[in-house]
Amino acid sequence: MKKTAGKIGVVRFPGSNCDQDVYQFVAEKNYTPEYLWHLDHFDLKDYLALLLPGGFSYGDYLRSGALSARSPVMNSVREFANRGGPILGICNGFQVLAESGLLPGALVKNARLRFIDDWVNLKVENANPFWAKNWTGDKMYLPIAHGDGRYYAPADDLKKIEDGDQIWLRYVENPNGSLLNIAGVMNQKKNVAGLMPHPERAIFDWMGSVDGWSFL
Amino acid sequence: MNQENQKIELQKRLKHYRISVAEYEMIKSLLGREPKPIEWPLFSALWSEHCSYKSSRMHLKKFGKTLNASVLNAAGENAGVVDLGYDERIVFKMESHNHPSFIEPYQGAATGVGGILRDIFTMGARPIALADYLCFGEISVTPIGLQETPIGLQKSTAGSETSTTGNRMGFLVDGVVRGIGGYGNSVGVPTVTGQTNFDKSYDKNILVNAMAVGLLRPGEKVALSAAKGPGNLVVYVGAKTGKDGVHGAAMASESFDENSEAKKPNVQIGDPYFEKLLIESCLEVLKKDLVVSIQDMGAAGLTSSSFEMASKGNVGMSLKLDQVPIRDSSIQPEEILLSESQERMLLICEPKKIQVLQSEFEKWGLDAVVVGEVLQERKIELWWKGELLTSIDPYPLVENAPMYDRTFRAWTAKNKVIDKSQLQNEDISKKKYTEKLFGHVQFTSRKNIYRQYDQRVGLNTVRGADHDVAILRLPDSGRALGVAVGCRPHLMKMDARIGAQDAVYYPALQLALRGIKVVALTDCLNFGNPERPEIMSEFVASVDAITESSLKLKAPVISGNVSFYNETLGENIISTPAMGLVGLGPEDASFINGGQIPQDVFQHSGNSVYLVSSAKVFIGEISKSQFQYFGEPDLNAWTELVDAFTALTRKVEISASQMVGRGGLGWTLAQMSLGNYGYKGAFAISSNELWQETLYQAVFEVNETESKKFEIFFQNNKIEFKKIGEVQADILALNDGTSFNLKECKKSYELGLRGSIENLA
Repeated sequence: MKKTAGKIGVVRFPGSNCDQDVYQFVAEKNYTPEYLWHLDHFDLKDYLALLLPGGFSYGDYLRSGALSARSPVMNSVREFANRGGPILGICNGFQVLAESGLLPGALVKNARLRFIDDWVNLKVENANPFWAKNWTGDKMYLPIAHGDGRYYAPADDLKKIEDGDQIWLRYVENPNGSLLNIAGVMNQKKNVAGLMPHPERAIFDWMGSVDGWSFL
Repeated sequence: MNQENQKIELQKRLKHYRISVAEYEMIKSLLGREPKPIEWPLFSALWSEHCSYKSSRMHLKKFGKTLNASVLNAAGENAGVVDLGYDERIVFKMESHNHPSFIEPYQGAATGVGGILRDIFTMGARPIALADYLCFGEISVTPIGLQETPIGLQKSTAGSETSTTGNRMGFLVDGVVRGIGGYGNSVGVPTVTGQTNFDKSYDKNILVNAMAVGLLRPGEKVALSAAKGPGNLVVYVGAKTGKDGVHGAAMASESFDENSEAKKPNVQIGDPYFEKLLIESCLEVLKKDLVVSIQDMGAAGLTSSSFEMASKGNVGMSLKLDQVPIRDSSIQPEEILLSESQERMLLICEPKKIQVLQSEFEKWGLDAVVVGEVLQERKIELWWKGELLTSIDPYPLVENAPMYDRTFRAWTAKNKVIDKSQLQNEDISKKKYTEKLFGHVQFTSRKNIYRQYDQRVGLNTVRGADHDVAILRLPDSGRALGVAVGCRPHLMKMDARIGAQDAVYYPALQLALRGIKVVALTDCLNFGNPERPEIMSEFVASVDAITESSLKLKAPVISGNVSFYNETLGENIISTPAMGLVGLGPEDASFINGGQIPQDVFQHSGNSVYLVSSAKVFIGEISKSQFQYFGEPDLNAWTELVDAFTALTRKVEISASQMVGRGGLGWTLAQMSLGNYGYKGAFAISSNELWQETLYQAVFEVNETESKKFEIFFQNNKIEFKKIGEVQADILALNDGTSFNLKECKKSYELGLRGSIENLA
């Protein structure tokens, strides 16, 4: 077997649909991806980091991310987070992390109530120590594809997030009505992060951008 | 009962099951007796137009001769499998969901997508792309028999609030688009291309055609549907059976009337979450070789899947209908047989593998229930709570369905003028008219539609729906796979033969401009009432034209679907044979990696703009939506053009290119100016020539160093070309002296369909 930089867990819920894409991204970056099934518990020592992919986990029943946040695997994910392990939630993965309380705020329906697939420019507001940490460019160009991407938090919380340098990424042009143009946030310790855009869909020139390559 | 009463009973029954007197006589002679109560629904479903293709079968046979050595497993399956080399194989199909979508747009369109996806993964291929072909009526028309207010809107996963559009057509557009997105996005299959037309002929009968493309990667096996091995188990997997969609196949086989609204209960409700679980679990059990054969439950549900599987395998099947998982305890055997509840599959499994199979499905939260077994003798036994309802040979039901030679006339050219000077054109030279095009529903940007579709999930998308044709990257060989749809209703209305040829050639040429050669076709033939000779004549002319075009291009027709009875209160739609094309790029993987695929819009100031023509048919627009033409289609010349364009991109670096389409050269140049650069004409071209559509012309943008090579290429190929202008920043000055404020034009174009249908994305 090819020697890699280590194992990264890809959490897989029924209804996840970017799991295979994220798996491929991890492998392209010369890490060893490993699926973690929603019913599993796992040994935290085995993984360098965890990724929660996009999709419609549990069919978005109730609310996007609501059921996944309460699935068995999340106990291990939470423990991993508490120990300071790096976790990234992409799109639906971001929704799951917000629903589970590992990230502040919520993702609600887009302002126009319609799904949006588009390309967006992003500004890195505060760098994340794990994800895209070596990014030096000006604006990041990444695709979005979501129906529930409007970042929302009550005014007090928003202030705390802003003051705590927890805003990770902001849209240059707000596509979905997100408050403070937020596209990605971090927890206080900054080891847990989530974003609505899809870095794994922008890793080769032919995809339209390579700005996602720097995320891992 | 006296004789008179019996006669009335029979009449009622025939009407209920939509079986004609002649068909009833056929049934009696096949069985040698009166049909039993449970057999009526079987014949009704399997002999419906939708399932049996009884009006079209004799003509569709012609497609058989287009098949060549690259097509595997064509016979009797949902679609032929196309071998692309390197053990990469694709399978694709297009299907209509017109009737349900008109009654309930969100669910109608969503379940259309779900159905076509099941047709693909039931063959063992992972769906990698979706495309759609849509025709709507004029915006602001309220169709008969339907309420103004939106009704029955389902909560969707992708954000569905009650529509606020005042007009019904706007509501239909919005609902259909949300339905396609709501389903496709959830299951994680990108919708990469499509076409949307508007014409008043679709006011009372919209068209919703969905196409899915599946990929079998090296080493993956094609799954078949023929039941095999007496003693093997029949396994039901997926959603529970409800009363939704009972008689759906029969509904799709008749015309609309004032009571169409009452048909709402016939429309099925889909759940993309279940479909996603089915895709992953079915592909997994196929990969682990736990399945003998597999078939989705589509039109006519359990009836068609079980009867077809048995008939194809020349075996029998015993089915315990009371074992079928149900979600409504009042459901009757007849309804179980006919239910079109979504997201269900029927599998044949060896008894020794059943436990492993069940545990695989259980992992995905799905029940795999044994509902019967395969029998040696070719008969279907239907059991209900210990009682044998019937035992019947499936073969005559499936293979001996009636076939009608509907009256048609030999094709004669319509709307043709003998003298080119007679070819009239509406006075389209006026600048005002042109400016309107940018915001006109027929011409304006479709962005408000396609931005509701996830175009990139799966990591194969090179070019998505904001381009003329979609391009995917085959993950193993790195080659380009092109996907395009075709059929331009205004040409079909002008002449069915030319329109159907164009439905193949226009998208084939669009693919060729991107260096992609069409390899195979699918069709979705949307027509009116086949019992009307004028409709049937157009159908036959179209099938002949598609066959001929397919043979010339060496691109076989590998699958298809016919939707008849697109008729409401005696008014038929424009005959619309929608085509789906898949093509292959060069062997060299650097074609995609190198970024050499021509763009849709102008790329650089100072570059030369050329017009290339193989003009055979000249089209004039006499008045709004009334077309006439001059000339004869020449498929040989058009095929040469396809070959030349395909070869060109491998030899010369083309900055941008586009086919000239509706709206003529003028509109093509305007459209190519909607990126970052505009255009300036070099010499005068008359308004007529500039705005008249010609089959075929293409516009190319070439930089200075490539110009010479470009000219030599077309000289060598003896194809007419001329330089007509050059790319310039910020202006659009056409060759007839008109010039436009590009900024305003762009604004109008980018507002797109939202200018007419407010609640699109």
